[in-house]
Amino acid sequence: MISPACRLTAFPRWRRLFGAQLSVAALLISGCTGAVGDPREGEGDGVIPGGPTGPEVAERSMFPRLTHAQWENTVRDLLRLDDRPGLSASFTSDPLGGVFDNNEAALLVAPGLWGDYQRAAEELAAMVTADQGKLDRIAPADLPDAPEARAQAFVERFGERAFRRPLTAEERDAYVALFQRGEELFEGEDPFAAGVRAAIEAFLQSPHFVYRVEIGAGPAEGGLIPLGGYEIATKLAYTLWNTMPSDELLEAAKAGELSSREAVRAYAGGMLEDQRAREVVGAFHRQLYDYEQYHDLNKDQALYPEFVPEMGDDMQREAELFVDHVVFDEEGGLTDLLTARTAFVNDHLAAVYGVEGDFSDEFKRVELDEAERSGLLTRLGFLAAKATARQPDSIHRGVFVNLRILCAALPPPPDNATSLPPGELATNRERVEAHTGKGTCGASCHGVLINPAGFAFEHYDAIGKYRTTDNGAPVDSADVYTLGGQPRSYADAVEFSQLLAESSEAHACYAQRWIEFSHGRGVRAEDRALVEELGEASRGGASTKELIVRIVSSTPFLARVPAEAP
Amino acid sequence: MITRRRVLRGLFGVTVALPFLETFAPRRAAAGTGDVPPFAIFMRQANGVAQQVGDEPEMFWPSATGPLTAESMAADADRAVSELKDYASRLIMVRGVRFAFQGNGCGHSGGGNQCLTAAQVSEDPAGNESLAMGESIDNRIATELNPAGVEPLTLYAGRMAGYINEVLSYRGPKQLRAAERDPYKAYQKLFGLAEVDAAAAEALAARRASVNDLVREQMQALMRRKDLSKGDRERLQLHFDSIRDLEVGLACALPPERVAEMEAISPNVGSYDNVETVTRMQMDIIALAMACGATRAATLQVGDGNDSTEYTIHGVRQKSFHKISHRIDGDGEVGPPIEGAQELHHQIDRIHARMFKHLLDRLSSYDLGSGTLLDRGVAVWLNDLADKYHAYSRVPYILAGGAAGYLKTGQFIDERITVNKLLNTIGAAVGCTNGQGGPLDDFGDESLEGGLVDTIIA
Repeated sequence: MISPACRLTAFPRWRRLFGAQLSVAALLISGCTGAVGDPREGEGDGVIPGGPTGPEVAERSMFPRLTHAQWENTVRDLLRLDDRPGLSASFTSDPLGGVFDNNEAALLVAPGLWGDYQRAAEELAAMVTADQGKLDRIAPADLPDAPEARAQAFVERFGERAFRRPLTAEERDAYVALFQRGEELFEGEDPFAAGVRAAIEAFLQSPHFVYRVEIGAGPAEGGLIPLGGYEIATKLAYTLWNTMPSDELLEAAKAGELSSREAVRAYAGGMLEDQRAREVVGAFHRQLYDYEQYHDLNKDQALYPEFVPEMGDDMQREAELFVDHVVFDEEGGLTDLLTARTAFVNDHLAAVYGVEGDFSDEFKRVELDEAERSGLLTRLGFLAAKATARQPDSIHRGVFVNLRILCAALPPPPDNATSLPPGELATNRERVEAHTGKGTCGASCHGVLINPAGFAFEHYDAIGKYRTTDNGAPVDSADVYTLGGQPRSYADAVEFSQLLAESSEAHACYAQRWIEFSHGRGVRAEDRALVEELGEASRGGASTKELIVRIVSSTPFLARVPAEAP
Repeated sequence: MITRRRVLRGLFGVTVALPFLETFAPRRAAAGTGDVPPFAIFMRQANGVAQQVGDEPEMFWPSATGPLTAESMAADADRAVSELKDYASRLIMVRGVRFAFQGNGCGHSGGGNQCLTAAQVSEDPAGNESLAMGESIDNRIATELNPAGVEPLTLYAGRMAGYINEVLSYRGPKQLRAAERDPYKAYQKLFGLAEVDAAAAEALAARRASVNDLVREQMQALMRRKDLSKGDRERLQLHFDSIRDLEVGLACALPPERVAEMEAISPNVGSYDNVETVTRMQMDIIALAMACGATRAATLQVGDGNDSTEYTIHGVRQKSFHKISHRIDGDGEVGPPIEGAQELHHQIDRIHARMFKHLLDRLSSYDLGSGTLLDRGVAVWLNDLADKYHAYSRVPYILAGGAAGYLKTGQFIDERITVNKLLNTIGAAVGCTNGQGGPLDDFGDESLEGGLVDTIIA
C-alpha cells in the first residue's frame, strides 16, 4: 500500500514524468518504492481478484481498437484464410502515439477508416461466399438442414469467434434477421451463401469486432472490476499473438479455465512457444530500436565503397534474427540483448564486421570479436542509422541510449541553436566535445548524459565499421556515466554495454517498455511498482519471456478500474 | 465539363471506365460562376525560412511592402518568393504573423500545434509529443461547410521518421487527424468511383442501410452505458458519427497515366528522393477534389515535424533540411557548422515555392468560364516556424487566390498579427461564421482577441 502522504505529493509529478519518459532520477525517489505489497494471490473467486487497493491499476479505455496489423491477423484467423488479406495496406494510417503502434489513445474510427472497414468487409464477405471451399471452412461442419436453424447455428458459432465471446440473445436475433434478408439483399445468390455474406459484412463492421471491448465481469470488488474469462482470453491473444483468440483459448474461457492467475501464467507460457509470439516480440524490438531508421541511409561512397543500399534490409534482418535467437532459442533477456556476441550476417554485413569466411546472401550465424562487439548497440543497424554520410553521429547515439534504453528524461534542446566556428580539431569526438562538452552552453545535458553515452561508440564509423583511429589520431571512447547513483567509467562500447546490462536503470526501462507495449498505452504513475519489480527481476536474470508472463498475469492486466465520472 | 454527376463509390474497390473530365490542359468553358464554392488549401513547409534574422540578410520576402506585380517580383529575383511572380496579382504575402503561445518543450511540435489552430499547446503530453488544445481551421471549414461527415482532405508528402509525423489537422483538443502520405491511396479513396446502374445502386443502398442500422444499434447500446469515461464516450461518438448511409461520390478522374504513376511510386512514397514528386501528385489530387466539390478544405504537409528530408540541390543530396535550417550538422543545440547553410536553406525555400506554384498552376488549369478555380478559393503556403532560430514570430503565410473576391490580392503586408486573426480571415473568406452568424472572427483559443485582418479584405 502506498502511503497517502507520498501519493499526494508525488502523484502529479509522477504523471508528468511518466507522460514523457520515466526519469532515472525519479526511480530513485525513496518512500514510494517497494511499499506495494505482493500481488494479491488467490483472493476472490471466478475471475482474478480485485483486492483492497485499486490505485496500482491505471485507467484505460474499455474500447481499444485493433491496430491494422491486428485487424489483418484477425480477419485471416476468423475467416480461416491461408494468408493475411492485405487490405489494411490501403487503410487510413494512425497518428503516432509514442514508441509503439498500439497506443489506444491514437486508435480511433474516423470517417476515413470507417469507410475502409466498410469496403474491406464487403470485399471479404463477397470473396469468402463466392468460393465454396472458403465457405465450407467457416461454416461449422454439423449445421442443421432446416434453413432457420441453420442460420441461427451459423450466426451463433461464427459470432462467438467474431466477437470473441458468445452473442447475447438480442445480438443473435439481430444477426439472424439480417441473415434471412440475405436472399433479398443479394438477389440470385444461394440463400445460405447470401445470408452468410450479409452477416459477415455486419460482423466485420461491428464495434464488438473492431474494438477489444473490455466491459469487465460484474461490479467492482475492492475498487477493481475483474475482466471476464473471454476478455482475458482476448487480451492474452492480442498481446501475445497480435490476433484473435484461438478456438482452444475460447474453449478455455468458456470452461472457466482462465480464472486464476496461475492458469493465466500457464496459458501465457504455452502461447509464447508459438510462432505468432515470435512475431510479437520481433515487433516490440523493431519499434523500440526503430529499425525503420536503418533504411534510406545516405553514405559517402568514396569513403564507404562497401556500403550498398540493400544493407538497410540486411541490417534489419540481422537485428531481427539476433533478437529472436536471444529471446526464444536462448531464453534470454535484456542482459543478453546488450552483451551477446552471436550475430547473423550475410556477405554484405560480414564485410563490414570483418568476419572471415565464405558468405553469400544467406544469413549465417557467427560469433563476433569480443574485443569489438557486444549486443544490439554495437550492431551495424543502430550505428549506421545514427551517423551522417561521413561521421558517426555521437549525439544521436547518446540521445537514443538515454531515451530508449535508459528512459532518461532529457530536456529538449533550446530553439535558438547556434553554431561555433570550425576549429583545428582532428577527431569527431573533439569536434563534438568542443561544441557541447564541459565549459560550453550545452554542458548540462551533453556533458553528463548525451555525450558520455554517445562517445562510447567512437570506435564505430559512419557505417558501423570498427576503427582504432579517427583522422590519424587514436580513437578515444572512454567516458563516465552515472548509473545507480555512482559514476561508472568505461573504456569503450563493450564495457559500456556491460555496465548498462548491470544497471537498474536499463532493466527498469526495458520493463517499462514492455508494460507500455502489453497494455497499449503510455506508462502511468500506477505502473511504477510493477516497473521496479520487473526491472529488478530482469536485472536478476529473468528472461524477456518471463517478464511478459509476469505482465499478463498481473492485476493491471486482469482487471480494470471503473471509469472516472465524466 | 465539371458537373456533379453523382455516382456510387466503386464496388469492391474496382474502378471501371470513368467519365473523362480532366486533362492536364483543360481550357474549356464549364459550369458557371458559383458552381464551385470557396475552399481553402494549406501547404505546410517546416523549419522556418531563410529570412532576415540576426546577421543573415533577407533572402525570402520581396524588397518592399505594398502592391505586388510581376515586374516588382521579377526585380526581386534573389528572393525565394520570386518563384511565384507569374501569380503576383493573385498573391497576398503576410509578414508579421505570430503564434500566441509558448511551445511545451519542443519548438517544432509547438509550432505545428498552433499554425492552423491558434490553440494552446498541451502540457500532457509534452515535448515532441505535444498536441494542440483545439481544432484546426481546415476542420472548422469542413465541419461548417461540408456535408455532414465529410472530412477535410489531410495529405502528407515524405518520410514519417517517427519523431514528429503529421502535425496539421485537429478534430478538437488533442485529436490529431491522420494524414495520408500515399497519393495512390488518397486518389482511390476519393475518386475510385464506378458507374453503377440504377438497380445495382438500389441494391447496394439497401444492403448498406441494413448493415448500418444493425451497427448503429450496437453503437447506441454501448453509448447508453453509464460507466463510460469521457475519452471512451468521445471515441464512440466519433465512430458513430462516421457511419454514413450510401456513400456517394463524384465522377471525377485524373488521366489513367497519372494514376499509374501514383501506383508506381506507392511503395516508395517515404523516400527522400520522392518528396517533391509526391507533393505534386498530392496537389493534383487536392485540385481535383476542389474542382469536384469533394471537400472545402485540405492540408498538405511536406516533410515530418522537423522536416529531415535530404533535398537534392544542384544535383547533390544535401544534409537533412532540419540541420541546414539550424546551420549546424546536428539536430540539437550545437554542432559543427554546415558550410553555405543559409544559401542551402534559401534553395529549399525555392523548392517549396516551386511546389506551391505547381498547386497554383493546377488550380488555374480548371477554367470555370468566369475565371479559374484558383480565383474561387484560397491556397496558403505556410510554415510552422519563422526562421533559423525556429522563432514563433514573423512566421510566413503566403495566400493565393481571392476566395471569389473576398480577399484583396496583389499585395505584401507587414503587420504584427496573431495567427488567429489570419485564420479567422481565411475562414470567413470561404464562408465560415461565428456564433452570431457574422463572419468568423473568434476562431482559436478563447483568451485571444478576435477579429479579422482588414488590410487583406476586399
